[in-house]
Amino acid sequence: MRPAIAQYYPGDSLMHRLDPRAKFVAVSALALALFVRDSFLGLAVYAAAAALAYAISGVPVRWFWRAFKPLLWLVGLTFLAQVVFARGTPFFSFWFVHLSWSGIELAAFLSLRLVVLVLAGSVLTLTTTPIALTDGLAWLGRPLRRIKVPTDELALMVTIALRFIPTLLVELDTIMRAQRARGADFRSGGLRERARALVPVLIPLFVLSFRRADDLALAMEARCYQPGIVRTRLHPLRAGRADVLLLVVTAAVIAAGLLV
Amino acid sequence: MTAPLLDISGLHYRYPGARSDALADLDLSVHEGEFVAVVGANGSGKSTLARLLGGLDRPAAARRAGACGHDLLTGDGRLAARRDVGVLFQNPENQLVAEHVEEDIAFGLENLGWPSADIRRRVDEMLARFDLKDLRRREPHLLSGGQKQRAALAGVLAIPRRAIVLDEPTAMLDPAGRADVLAAVAALRVEGLAVVYITQEMDEVVGADTVVGLEGGSEVYAGGVDDLFADGELVRRLNLGLPVAAEVAQELARRGRPLPALPLTLDALLAGLSERS
Amino acid sequence: MKGAGKKAGRAAVKARGGADAAVASPTATDTSAAGMGLACRGVTFSYEEGREAVPAVRDVGFELAAGGSLALLGASGAGKSTLLQLVRGLDEPEAGAVVLDGVKPGGERYAALRREIGLVFQIPELQLFAASAREDVAFGPRRLRWSDERVKEAVSAALELVGLPEEKFGDRHPYALSGGEQRRLALAGVLAMKPRLLLLDEPFVSLDPGTRRQLAGILGRLKGAGVTIILATHDVDLAWALCDDVLVLSAGEVAASGAWEFDAAARDLLVRNRLREPQLVELWRRLGRDLATAPRTAAEAAEALA
Repeated sequence: MRPAIAQYYPGDSLMHRLDPRAKFVAVSALALALFVRDSFLGLAVYAAAAALAYAISGVPVRWFWRAFKPLLWLVGLTFLAQVVFARGTPFFSFWFVHLSWSGIELAAFLSLRLVVLVLAGSVLTLTTTPIALTDGLAWLGRPLRRIKVPTDELALMVTIALRFIPTLLVELDTIMRAQRARGADFRSGGLRERARALVPVLIPLFVLSFRRADDLALAMEARCYQPGIVRTRLHPLRAGRADVLLLVVTAAVIAAGLLV
Repeated sequence: MTAPLLDISGLHYRYPGARSDALADLDLSVHEGEFVAVVGANGSGKSTLARLLGGLDRPAAARRAGACGHDLLTGDGRLAARRDVGVLFQNPENQLVAEHVEEDIAFGLENLGWPSADIRRRVDEMLARFDLKDLRRREPHLLSGGQKQRAALAGVLAIPRRAIVLDEPTAMLDPAGRADVLAAVAALRVEGLAVVYITQEMDEVVGADTVVGLEGGSEVYAGGVDDLFADGELVRRLNLGLPVAAEVAQELARRGRPLPALPLTLDALLAGLSERS
Repeated sequence: MKGAGKKAGRAAVKARGGADAAVASPTATDTSAAGMGLACRGVTFSYEEGREAVPAVRDVGFELAAGGSLALLGASGAGKSTLLQLVRGLDEPEAGAVVLDGVKPGGERYAALRREIGLVFQIPELQLFAASAREDVAFGPRRLRWSDERVKEAVSAALELVGLPEEKFGDRHPYALSGGEQRRLALAGVLAMKPRLLLLDEPFVSLDPGTRRQLAGILGRLKGAGVTIILATHDVDLAWALCDDVLVLSAGEVAASGAWEFDAAARDLLVRNRLREPQLVELWRRLGRDLATAPRTAAEAAEALA
């Protein structure tokens, strides 16, 4: 029972071990370069780099497919729109449809670019737990503390929220089962009836969540948590040689893509 | 004799907006290595007591409210008490805050600002002690009930404690898990921690040095285990039961065959039976 | 309690009588139609967890006669809750079948039988949602499309049975009740539907001993009235006091099932599954008495010893 946002693939590859900050910076830089560069050759360089990174991560290809599938319609739509509406010398015209070779080329380029973008992004999300990513982002956002944005507290909140998503889903499932066992029907009836059947489900879920919030606050205080304290970490984010190497390689790849 | 680690006298607590006290005129004293069991019906104030002892709530009033030398009546005292007095609450699920077991165990030490190397050493110690080594990278929601309880206990004890309050720590466990927790608690006593043990299991009360019985927030009993179970009226009033051995002895007495003393364990019952014959 | 696969005829400790005589006063006169018979045949089910499917129960087979009572034992995570959900039909088995009163799955008759199975979950707060105790208990009977009159009667009777009389508790908000009262209210919500097979998932957890006794008394009465009962629990003492038969699940498979047995092998099996033998049985063993006469309650023990 896993929500779509927690698409982490447990593993111990080089990609998994890299610092989330380095990975985030590298992927962001590559994404930026992808949007700047507009030749197939450049795209090919970035695609090769992203594919290599994916291969190193050791994640089965179908996991990429799983992350990509929901975006397929977006790629398809992009392709179609470009094919149909692109300006160029048409070799086929009908009503508002004007097919041209340059249009097809552009459509293919834009679609492929989206694929590479998702590929690079999924190397990040598949090899980094959401919580490590949160930690990384909190660190990168530290300058915001100067303007009184409580980044560490926000990161802890997000961490706890992520931690409890599976618990909440299990509870939701149990509540619905308990009511199904007493004759509730969530599957038939019109939209209105189904929505109404959900009300008794949400009530215990809310009550329990409020109580959980109380319990959690208490348990955290009992372990000496206070807002505003400076916390140390069991696993502090530590950039090593591999992370520097990642950034250097990324810079080289970006440069190569821009120059070819 | 040294001063008690938990030293409470005339303590009152009232929930905000409530018309009567949730705890009234409570006395409690627990020394180093001492084991005090707290019993009472559901809703008698046991969990409220746990929060107060841990410095997590402000007593309404008290003659004395000391926890490991800190005054629970002051804000600073309560903050300091949180370091020395550990509290394990009822539902382990709601106490595990981190992504993995090992990070959860580290949570308290991270809050106290320990250096990472020291945290790592302490976490390893706790993982070994609570048999969680293989589960260090496991996510909390994938643990079994017994594993969750052990992880939560490890998280509370990772901060070096002088006293600990456990709120029904075995309620959700199978008999073997129960035995594990009881063994861990016994080891804590040997180390010199003051232990306050809230429970609904009469067999677990038997090993206590002192029992405190709560009824509607009032302390209606404080004394030895034997005297508590010998007082049938009190046992009924507190909605308690008897350990199985005592129950058998009571039934024997009802049939005109009383044993010389009320046995609280099977060993004692067997001894009593052989003495009689 | 027969070891799975081994049909060897160990001297079985046959169940006699059953529940506490004091609590087993039947309330229903017609006990013949009250209970539902149950047979699980090769029931298998797995969960998807992360990368792979984890088998939760595998090839579980057992029979429980109408009016029987079965203690479902096993370490936490052994599959007890999953099995109860499968029996109630909240999950469909991947393989095998749950046969009710001799009726195989499929068809209107089977669906109707399923509605006569009550399942009480472990955590009461997950089961309560209405604005009053009365409304909460009425939820199930209304879904059965009973007449208002009949719903009212059923609610009143169920609240009375669990010791939460309607005059006093009917208007109370479920979340304003104590833990023990909530547990009993959740039970009332199920009992109001007049189940012929009652499944209980760890009903005694975190109850004080007095409330536990009260709940055990209610179960004893239901059993006396002929309702078939499956009790999933960690509490071997109460399981032994209340249930005639036992089934031990070990990592989703049946490790033993049938009448209780307490020879060395059976005791070993309990310990291996993080359980232990009931204290009264231990007493009998240490007294060197015949385990076939081991008492179910302290009163029975005293009767034999006096």
